[in-house]
Amino acid sequence: MRLRRRVVTLLMLAGLALAACGTGGGQQQTSSSGPKHGDTLRVAIGIDPDTLDPAAQTTTTAGQIVDMMAETLVTLDTKGALKPLLATSWTTGSDGLSWTFTLRQGVKFTDGTPMNAQAVKFSIDRLLDPNTFKAVPGVLGGKTGIDHVVAVDDTHVQFFLHTKFAPFAAAMTQTNAAIISPASVNAAPNTPAKIVQPVGTGPYKFQDRVAGDHITMAANKDYWGTKANYDTQTYKIVPEAASREALVKSGGADVIALPPANDIPSMQADSSLKVILGPSDRTIQIVINTQDATQPLLQKPEVRQALNYAIDKNAIIKNVMFGTAVPLSGPMSTSLFGYCPTGSYGYDPAKAKQMLQSAGAAGMSVKLAAPTGRYTQDIQVANAVAGYLRDAGLKVDGPATADWPTYLSTYANVPLAQSKIDLHLLGWAPAYLDAQQQFLQWYSTQMPPAGLETSYYKNPQLDSMIEQASSSTDPAQRSQIYCSAAKIVWNDAPWIFLYNQKYPYVTTSKVTNVPGLPNEKFVTTWASPA
Amino acid sequence: MLTYLVRRVLVAIPTVFGVATVVFFLRTLLPGDPAIIIAGPQATPEAIANIRRQLGLDQPLWQQYLSFLGGLVHGDLGISTRTGQPVIQEIATRAPYTAQLAVASLVLAVLVGVTLGVLAATRRSTVGDLGISSGAVFGVSMPVYWLGLMLIVVFAVRFRVLPAAGTDQGLASLVLPTVTLALFSMGLVTRQTRSAMLEVLGQDFVRTARAKGAGRRAVLIRHALRNALLPIVTTIGLQFGILLGGAVLTESIFAWPGVGRLLVDSIGSRDYPVVQGVVLLLSVAFITINIVTDLIYAYVDPRIRYS
Repeated sequence: MRLRRRVVTLLMLAGLALAACGTGGGQQQTSSSGPKHGDTLRVAIGIDPDTLDPAAQTTTTAGQIVDMMAETLVTLDTKGALKPLLATSWTTGSDGLSWTFTLRQGVKFTDGTPMNAQAVKFSIDRLLDPNTFKAVPGVLGGKTGIDHVVAVDDTHVQFFLHTKFAPFAAAMTQTNAAIISPASVNAAPNTPAKIVQPVGTGPYKFQDRVAGDHITMAANKDYWGTKANYDTQTYKIVPEAASREALVKSGGADVIALPPANDIPSMQADSSLKVILGPSDRTIQIVINTQDATQPLLQKPEVRQALNYAIDKNAIIKNVMFGTAVPLSGPMSTSLFGYCPTGSYGYDPAKAKQMLQSAGAAGMSVKLAAPTGRYTQDIQVANAVAGYLRDAGLKVDGPATADWPTYLSTYANVPLAQSKIDLHLLGWAPAYLDAQQQFLQWYSTQMPPAGLETSYYKNPQLDSMIEQASSSTDPAQRSQIYCSAAKIVWNDAPWIFLYNQKYPYVTTSKVTNVPGLPNEKFVTTWASPA
Repeated sequence: MLTYLVRRVLVAIPTVFGVATVVFFLRTLLPGDPAIIIAGPQATPEAIANIRRQLGLDQPLWQQYLSFLGGLVHGDLGISTRTGQPVIQEIATRAPYTAQLAVASLVLAVLVGVTLGVLAATRRSTVGDLGISSGAVFGVSMPVYWLGLMLIVVFAVRFRVLPAAGTDQGLASLVLPTVTLALFSMGLVTRQTRSAMLEVLGQDFVRTARAKGAGRRAVLIRHALRNALLPIVTTIGLQFGILLGGAVLTESIFAWPGVGRLLVDSIGSRDYPVVQGVVLLLSVAFITINIVTDLIYAYVDPRIRYS
């Protein structure tokens, strides 16, 4: 009797366990075979795109998805150089204010309507229209951007700018300048103000979306260029990095963005995975308040230089970033037009101490802040920085931290008079690969609230160099101005220059051809089974 | 009974109204400007001002509050500032996922919890009781986040019998998030059932039932468990609220597109209309469950009569 009872109990427990686990059997993915031509490529990303409307794009991951469906006139190659896409060539008028693009002929949108100069004008006008929901024209709009667009004939379109703007073609690589079918804005669920399902000329077209879960795109069989290898691509939304890692390890995804940084070394050792440290144009820095009233010693360039010598960037990259960054050799990423090496602040604690001593800054107090969860290992890096600064004899209060929206409004994006922090960690990723975008960080017109020049750095000489480089139409001259300007910034040290981060993503060994662009996009469009 | 129900519903209305008001004004304590977040770091002040105008954030707070209340009366919760979609629609696409997860977890927690609790009570102070009680403590004390990841590592990565995350594998996708979310409640229900049963099993009427020769199963289920149900039902009712709250973490770990994650995403992007909508929905759900629990009391214990 007693035995029988025990058996019954055991059976009940086993039944419960089976009930919990048993439903999976039939539908399990066979991960051992890997994807084949014609299959679906499954990509796991961390963020759920707020919108797929090209005009409202602000994040690279959402932009990467939109890029697959809607194409721009100009694009980037893997080195970051400009490459024709829907435009085959472009010229700028002698006044530097007008730009003419020649369009590729015979290209159709995925709704069958022709891509022509009228469609380009329509798309850009829509981007500039204040009634387009959440449209962010950036440099293409405003008082300095596009004044008006003229469709000259079917294959030529002219842009007239308010002011001379040398990197205009580079700025046209941004996803928000993508060309969409004019007819599609009236096709439900789209409206002229808001596009939910973009219709462009891309290698893929929109298939379906479940908010928070996935976005699926189907290959465009009539694509004008190299056709895609996978019939469909599904971007799954998986917010936790550890869950994305589990997905790619268990065969539930073929490509994942941003694995947990601390697991990268072990994933690199796993032969069934390929960890790609994609390029990025994002610099990570400790921004110094150069007009600091609470710690006026930071107004001295030699004190700021000393802080640069006090930090062992290589050790931080190795031990905190797990190798996913390179130290800066100038105040910007090497992929930007206008980059030139300016030197390096090697780790030299003795020199740092001596410089602080002679500047009367030995033992000074500073307040440090960093966001949590905005950049790879952000608060961890800030803690390491605080440690080095303490080693240099500073009294460091912090790092104080907050989530990104709170951080932005409390520490970073505040006018000088309200600033309550001496040092803060920030990343900066140019929207397109031109030094003009990086120098917004030291252009005094960009101090909050106008922009995000949060070092409050003010140098009239630099300001005029920035303006000159932006309006010059001679690339050689621009490049040379940026190089001299970079040296000024490097020596004045409004930042503790930390590193240029990489953008890690992982594919299974059964997928190839997923290149990374220097703007943190990893292009799955032409991915191919290995 | 009906009068009671009507009274409870009427009392619930000002509660929901109060929640709506508190949630609306909590935003003033939350730093961060939605227009700046939406516009991105490179935005010009004009672009930010334009977005603020589009979202109605340029209106005075009291005016925003009045239009929020006005909309609420008409069942309109406004437009999500993140996606531009109606909040009702945002919630409607997400709520079924959370409901599915919460109900599955509750069913699992109750079935397993009550069964184990009864088993433990009838085997008081044996190895089995010790095992079940320890398991219950384990369930109550494991952090959801750690537990979820461990289950993923074992069942998805190591043995590859269940998907790691997502919803694309049908019922199989539901298993790990359900177990993760259920374990805490399962532990509580087990402990509650065990102690309620122990109390009842020691009472005279159970001895009487045994003495008159009722079968072991009849004694346990018809006499003991029925009388122990009241505190168990209370625990279960409370669990439902805890499950809805626990869904926030579970949904993030398992990439489950429910309202918990919608809430997290919305707070992260300062999408006030959606935050308000989700909190309202959760409070209405909680109030409803409380009323239902009270009604179940009357069914379980015929001595309780509402009027």
